[in-house]
Amino acid sequence: MQFRIDNASDRPVYQQIIDQIKRDIALGRLIKNEKLPTVRQLAGQIAINPNTIAKAYRQLEQEGIIVTKAGAGAFVANLDSSLSRSVRKKLISEELERIAVEAFHMQIDERTLLEWFNNAVAKFNLPSKKG
Amino acid sequence: MDQNVIKVENLVKYFDGRCVLDGIDLKVPRGCIYGLLGRNGSGKTTIIRILLGLEPPTRGQTFLLDADSTELSARLHSRIGYVAEGHNLIQSYRVGRLIKLCKDLSLQWNDEFFNHLIETFRLPADRKVKELSIGMRAQLNLALAMAIDPELLIFDDPTLGLDTVARRQFLELAIELIQQQGRTILFCSHILGDVERIADKIGILAAGKLVVDCPLEELKERVKKLRVIFPESAPANLHLTEIINQQNQGREMVITVANWNKQKQTALETFKPSSCTEIPMSLEDIFIECTKPNPKPIKS
Amino acid sequence: MFALIKREIQDHIVYFIGAAVFAVFFIIMSISILHNYNPRHGPPVFAILIGVPAVTIVIFGIGAMGATQMYLDKTRKISALLSTLATSRNRILLARIIAGILAILTLLVPLTIAAVILMRFFTILIPIPMFPGMVFEISVVVFLMAFACYCIGLQTGWNSNPVTPSLGALFLTCIFVPLILIKGFGVHIVVILVLFIIASLLRTWHTFMKTSL
Repeated sequence: MQFRIDNASDRPVYQQIIDQIKRDIALGRLIKNEKLPTVRQLAGQIAINPNTIAKAYRQLEQEGIIVTKAGAGAFVANLDSSLSRSVRKKLISEELERIAVEAFHMQIDERTLLEWFNNAVAKFNLPSKKG
Repeated sequence: MDQNVIKVENLVKYFDGRCVLDGIDLKVPRGCIYGLLGRNGSGKTTIIRILLGLEPPTRGQTFLLDADSTELSARLHSRIGYVAEGHNLIQSYRVGRLIKLCKDLSLQWNDEFFNHLIETFRLPADRKVKELSIGMRAQLNLALAMAIDPELLIFDDPTLGLDTVARRQFLELAIELIQQQGRTILFCSHILGDVERIADKIGILAAGKLVVDCPLEELKERVKKLRVIFPESAPANLHLTEIINQQNQGREMVITVANWNKQKQTALETFKPSSCTEIPMSLEDIFIECTKPNPKPIKS
Repeated sequence: MFALIKREIQDHIVYFIGAAVFAVFFIIMSISILHNYNPRHGPPVFAILIGVPAVTIVIFGIGAMGATQMYLDKTRKISALLSTLATSRNRILLARIIAGILAILTLLVPLTIAAVILMRFFTILIPIPMFPGMVFEISVVVFLMAFACYCIGLQTGWNSNPVTPSLGALFLTCIFVPLILIKGFGVHIVVILVLFIIASLLRTWHTFMKTSL
């Protein structure tokens, strides 16, 4: 796994790790039930404080993105089953609201915003309807 | 045994009538990597030298591993590794002789690990220390500090003079060390990127005071920089607490605030601003804001 | 501790060599004087012409050793490194003083032994009255004098260059030698010297403990 920590970013390092893991999962680079490197391994690999990585993993687990099995390590969750719909709705809605606020400040109109949104969706191969 | 490996209590230091440290309070718990930041001459090196008993404080006390810094025993010194910008090695000695001296004066020495480091860094044993480059001296210093298997490591600008690869090697070594239970690291650095990668807690020294002292991951959430535009000229006083910096120009105000919350948001809205945007801040931005003159403290 | 003493000796080996050289020099000179001594020719002028400058150099050297040990420490930041290793300032200073004592002994022990031997051979020739234990008493006073010169060097070397304290050592000798000539090699001198040494060492210890490294 490759991580890039952006020192000029306003997001804390643990948040950047979370973002990148989620992105990798969404892009199919990490698949269901795939084993993630241990905190120790990853810390040594990318020279990041293990506590930071542990925090990222904890939060991912809370959000249901990964599961940790005692003695075995961390694995990408079987995404269909573990997250309840309400949790998913909450997470996505928060992100959407953030985008809406940004768009407001940048004076982007609703139509343009939706167009850009559809482009982003297309990039990640989201199924058009859950089937 | 105290949870706090390093304790600084109301430390004051004057040099020739000039106040360098003006009442510093600091605690570093066991297992923590503490990154101490500050501009050149802000007093970071002074704090470290006082901690190690190399310099006496003017007022206040410091403690390392539960012992007063002015009374550190030989046994306690053997548990502490110290790396400073190459200037605490005996420059006139040959590398081999220096190594033998440090080895003879240690209580525990991990020869295997030390030789591994010397090989990795490719340090020559027959040259004089003063003939080494700054980077190689730093690496020698690091190897000597790590070889004693220390419980506490104190680094003062440890990556000065190191090239990119060597700096990365250093970071990886520090991480490897911290993975072993109960090790603590205090380090000063100018390279904020490195600090952001490995620190748990962060402190920023400015104008003789510790203006920031909190967990790193919280820092970016706590410090907000806002660009607020008012319908008429920006008010001089928003009656907000914990303003780190404020600049008014006509209708625009750029304000940096610590511990932003709903109350402060509401307080701001009573002034009816026409717009309020958040300006994203990297660690470097926060550092620059906090080291401008007249900063207000952000404590955890 | 041993490592610290070894380090001091290695760094200041020139003083030990000098001590050995002068010991040999004085022994040879004494043998030659006693061998050629003729009471009718009066006091050995030649010996005095060589002896006095030689002794001056030795006194200067002893003071210089103490001063140099401290001066080099400060300029090369030796204690700055040592104090962060598994030792303490007490031990560093003690090792330093022990090294100084060893250097003085390197000079004086051979001389004392030679004096004892020579006195056996040349008792008839020496014009001064002798008594048992004379050599011992004289050596103790000489040792204390030398150590006192060393202590001055040690005390002042930290804050100044090596030359000034050594001159101070010479000055001290100029005070004490007349005192010895007047009062003799008795207990009084020993007490005065011991008190002086203790005061000087305490000052040195205090300065070294409190200074920034």
